[in-house]
Amino acid sequence: MAMRVDSIETGALEQARPRRLQLLRQLARKKIAIVALVWIVIFYGAGFFAPLVAPHDPNRQELSVEARLQSPSGEHLLGTDRLGRDILSRVIYAARTTMLFTLIVTLSGSLFVGLGLGLLAGYRGGWVDAAIMRVGEVLAGIPGLLIILAISAAFRPRINDAAFWLKDNSFLGDDARPIVFFLVIVAATILFSWVGSARIVRSQVLAIREQEYVLAAEALGASTWRLLLRHVLPGVLPIFLVGLSGGMAGIAGTEMALSWLGLGVDPSTPSFGSLLFEARGVRTFQEFPHLLLGAGIPVVLFFFAWNLLGDALVDLAEPRTRGR
Amino acid sequence: MGLGLAGYLVRRLLWAVPVLIAVSMLVFLALRFTPGDPVDTLLGNRYDEELAAQLRARYGYDQPIPVQYVKYVQNLLQGDLGVSTKHVDFSVAEVILPKIRVSAAMGIMAVVVGFGLGIPIGVFAARRRGSFLDPLTIGSWLLLDSIPVFVVVPWAMWLFALTLGWVNLSYGGVFHPNIILPVLLISLPGVAGVARIMRASIIQVMGEDYLRTARAKGLREWTVVTRHLMRNALLPMITVIGLALPGIFAGALFTELLFGIPGVGREYLEALLARDYDVVLALVLFGSALFVFANIAVDMAYGFIDPRVRVGAARETG
Amino acid sequence: MSNRTLGLMMGGVVLLIVAVAIVFVFVVAGGDGGDDDTAPVSTDPTATTDPTAVTDPTESPAGDGDAASTPAATEAARGDGERVSGICGENRLITFGSDPATVLDPIQVGDADTAVYVTEIFGGLVTLDLDLNVQPDIAERWEVSDDGMVYTFFLRDDAVFHNGRRVTAEDFKYSFERAADPANFSPTARDYLGNIAGVLDKLGGSADEVRGVRVIDESTLRIELLRPISYFLQELTYTVAFVVDREQVEDDPRGWTRNPVGTGPFRLKSWRPLEELVLVPHERYHLGPPKLDEVVFQLGGGSLLTRFENDEIHVSPVPATELPGVLSGESDLSDLYRPAPQLSLSYLGMNVNEPPFDDPLVRQAFALAINREAINEALYFNAFLVADGIVPPTMPGYAADVSSYPYDPERAAELLARSRYAGNMPRITLTYSGSGGDPPDTLQAYLQQWRDALGVEVELEAIEWAAYLRELRRGTMQMYGAGWIADYPDPENFIGKLFGGDSETNHTGYASERVDALLREAAILGDNERRYQLYREAEQIVIDDAPVIPTFWGIDHYLVRDCVLNWPDVGTIVPKYRHIEIDTTRE
Repeated sequence: MAMRVDSIETGALEQARPRRLQLLRQLARKKIAIVALVWIVIFYGAGFFAPLVAPHDPNRQELSVEARLQSPSGEHLLGTDRLGRDILSRVIYAARTTMLFTLIVTLSGSLFVGLGLGLLAGYRGGWVDAAIMRVGEVLAGIPGLLIILAISAAFRPRINDAAFWLKDNSFLGDDARPIVFFLVIVAATILFSWVGSARIVRSQVLAIREQEYVLAAEALGASTWRLLLRHVLPGVLPIFLVGLSGGMAGIAGTEMALSWLGLGVDPSTPSFGSLLFEARGVRTFQEFPHLLLGAGIPVVLFFFAWNLLGDALVDLAEPRTRGR
Repeated sequence: MGLGLAGYLVRRLLWAVPVLIAVSMLVFLALRFTPGDPVDTLLGNRYDEELAAQLRARYGYDQPIPVQYVKYVQNLLQGDLGVSTKHVDFSVAEVILPKIRVSAAMGIMAVVVGFGLGIPIGVFAARRRGSFLDPLTIGSWLLLDSIPVFVVVPWAMWLFALTLGWVNLSYGGVFHPNIILPVLLISLPGVAGVARIMRASIIQVMGEDYLRTARAKGLREWTVVTRHLMRNALLPMITVIGLALPGIFAGALFTELLFGIPGVGREYLEALLARDYDVVLALVLFGSALFVFANIAVDMAYGFIDPRVRVGAARETG
Repeated sequence: MSNRTLGLMMGGVVLLIVAVAIVFVFVVAGGDGGDDDTAPVSTDPTATTDPTAVTDPTESPAGDGDAASTPAATEAARGDGERVSGICGENRLITFGSDPATVLDPIQVGDADTAVYVTEIFGGLVTLDLDLNVQPDIAERWEVSDDGMVYTFFLRDDAVFHNGRRVTAEDFKYSFERAADPANFSPTARDYLGNIAGVLDKLGGSADEVRGVRVIDESTLRIELLRPISYFLQELTYTVAFVVDREQVEDDPRGWTRNPVGTGPFRLKSWRPLEELVLVPHERYHLGPPKLDEVVFQLGGGSLLTRFENDEIHVSPVPATELPGVLSGESDLSDLYRPAPQLSLSYLGMNVNEPPFDDPLVRQAFALAINREAINEALYFNAFLVADGIVPPTMPGYAADVSSYPYDPERAAELLARSRYAGNMPRITLTYSGSGGDPPDTLQAYLQQWRDALGVEVELEAIEWAAYLRELRRGTMQMYGAGWIADYPDPENFIGKLFGGDSETNHTGYASERVDALLREAAILGDNERRYQLYREAEQIVIDDAPVIPTFWGIDHYLVRDCVLNWPDVGTIVPKYRHIEIDTTRE
């Protein structure tokens, strides 16, 4: 993960032309992309329906020598952990954490903020463009994980009071604390996640603006927003999705890394980070490989699926490397 | 291009100043905002109001935050990074320099490994384009890219140290053979990225018109390859090298933790938890400066290698 | 693509790699060479010995060092047997350690991590042996006045600093006054030296010297106390009472701790933060020089157990989570397991001034509802010691007849039902200090047991050490997981420091007049048996009032290679490495 390189930004994409849903149709022809997509859907579906799908209560302990650290069996498909909790259920609930995190970050950060600012910068130009891009440059120019760590460490203790207030004074009740903790890392991650998509969108807007049909619409006096919605947005979307799918693994990985370090979600919320933290010992792996594999394999497949999907999309979106 | 490039360089370097100021302010505020300060950690169970007040006065934490920040910047400009409160009485420079050296060595080794493997694999895949080997090579490296460090490290330690007995795990310095396993684990995911870009880049360049034209003109193959193909196919690689190095600095945290390597990531985390204000700030600034300058260097390199990129204009407008 | 093209491309790639490699060599190798020159704390004795402190050649080295352990003899003995390869082939102990959290200055040490090294490098008037009894160190013997107020120490004439200079009473006076100097910010001087007449005055700035410490002659030191204190000698074994070399400190007030000159059995050879710290013997150590050639503390952490299995280190800690795997008997590591009982206690503290723990019934119910034995068995293969009281069994004055609450869920539920908070239990948060993704297993298990027995939901909250300490001090935490490690082996260190009404380290808000009265009475008693009896009574009162739930007594779990001889199973920080040696003929 350290050297993750965003191939979206290496230039070839900037010439891409609007192809709208064509991209999705082409994607459907790639078998590997379909397999990847299926796994992502399963993963997110399991997370979404966690309370229905999980065979056990993920936090229910069974504290006895026999019940703990069981190898996979019919009763516990992925075995049990040190406190005798069902690992499959914990993995499913961890998938829920991942699902919520990636969705919220991409929807609010990449989609809402990134797309919005990208469109604005590309379309308005001038000082708006300069301001947005300079801020983006600042954020892209600093090591994100380091800053996210600092922010998370700084805000966690503060946030407790707020969380308790919410718990007593809002409908959230017992969920208030996990939610507030969650929002801290979401906010910290969003701070960095919008830049990439805003850049992509902006460069697309700049390219599309030169297209004849947009120029024509402009000449006919179409309003800015109408123009953006009707002409520019559809052209931008496919390429935007490509960028997004490439970034998903990174976003999910941020949450896991933070939780592994104990700076992520509330400890009562199962997360792949804490599951893998529990399984980090070499001897633990030697004797109870199911702890690491049970949580690790779904995660690896999840990242792999996004990577494959991203790769397939890039392949389709790059006219110059395709089909020659 | 000469003057334009120099002017551009100056502009970019000047631009780094507000970036670093913004970052330092952000982190400075976040740290001061955090409950618990270095004096809390320092005194621990022996906390005594009077003593704590004296210590805070000594370190200047009793002053208003803006004053503290201005003082910090003043010292910084004089080359004084401050003192560590976790490693008492060590200056920040003394604390972080050895760590930076370790991380730099590991990062560079990882880049060498990453490119040494990634480029041939990318070329290989590009050459076998269309056959099943192409997706297989790229696919298998994509898979490697998908394995988080904290999943692969326990497994790799078990396999290579316990089961096969090929390696030892003690940290014996950057040039000790024990460093091989952590370096490989850091660099392998990067191989995928390099291979992908190399492959795409070659395929793209091979189809360019100027290459055909050059061949059609009857230029020698050597000239075609060095003048046109290599120059253009390796262009994206510069970006990757430039941008990968600082990434490795920040990203090796887990490897450092699990292997007990005294690198920048671990120092940063420990400093953060101990509220070692000056060390945290120095590392953040260092990391950010590295990012910023790597970006500038990449752009400059572009300008030299590919005359088509008019640096200044390209950046200002598009 | 033609083969020729491809070949040329590969050539280009090779060139690129070579270029990167060259840059690498310049940047890193060059830098690393410099690193060696400026190794942070190289302590070459020839370079640092003060020329004025020339060793007196007539002074016999280390009077009571037995002949067999002098280096030459050890060397000869080693020649007899076949030396094995690997880490057991050298008389060099490779163990693990934590990075010192403070400088290696005896008066600055307040943490166990640093104390480990400081107790080996420095020494004081008295020391602790491996059974935690007070023994002579630099003071050969001492006399106590009948009223218990005046201690007269007679110093040995063969105790020397690492640079060969003899230790005199003047050095001790300087060291005590240095510790009490408010400009030095010692975090421990008040606690451990505060009973000496004049120390508090100097700390408060109202005196220039410590009037209670007087030099009678070169080798006689008299210390006067404010009041008779029965555990005064124990206090003197703490690092803040150690002697430092005045010349060195005054020559380089800020840098001397990088290269400290002490009187302890070991000298600091090198220290690279987060990497390793190396100690080498002080050959003229007055209690017998160390047998090892070197002690290497690896500070990096990370997979120590694996490195142990891989024959890279002699000693490894066993993390609690690995205990079942190591002890189950299936592993060949179980033969190497060496538990060392600590003078420590893990407990759950409760704020007795805040609901619901202001009701003793609630506190008792919570104590009765946890099943520590089940946790010990299921999670740790019974390797921990369930705390059946507060003062640990290895402590002098341990009371076997004091016992904490047994597991009794029915009675727990009954007590809770009788409490003020039956049916309207407020929110309860259990705070602990920690980093890492997964909360401690024990805490998670208590949560489940409270849920089962009492029907009460308790939430876990992790905060970082710095913030934890601050909240602890302010007494804001409702319930917290905590631990206490004894600073000196006396029950007072537990009962007085944790539960005394005016103790600064009493964070539960607990105050009992009866306990305070017992503590006051015990503090000035000369008769240890009677004194221990009073602490026992106080301990039982505390347990009945239940401001804390004692959970486990600490045990250090070590794995030690067979070739390490005389490894002491002591979990308290005492000078211990001088006893150890490596059998180089044995795997």
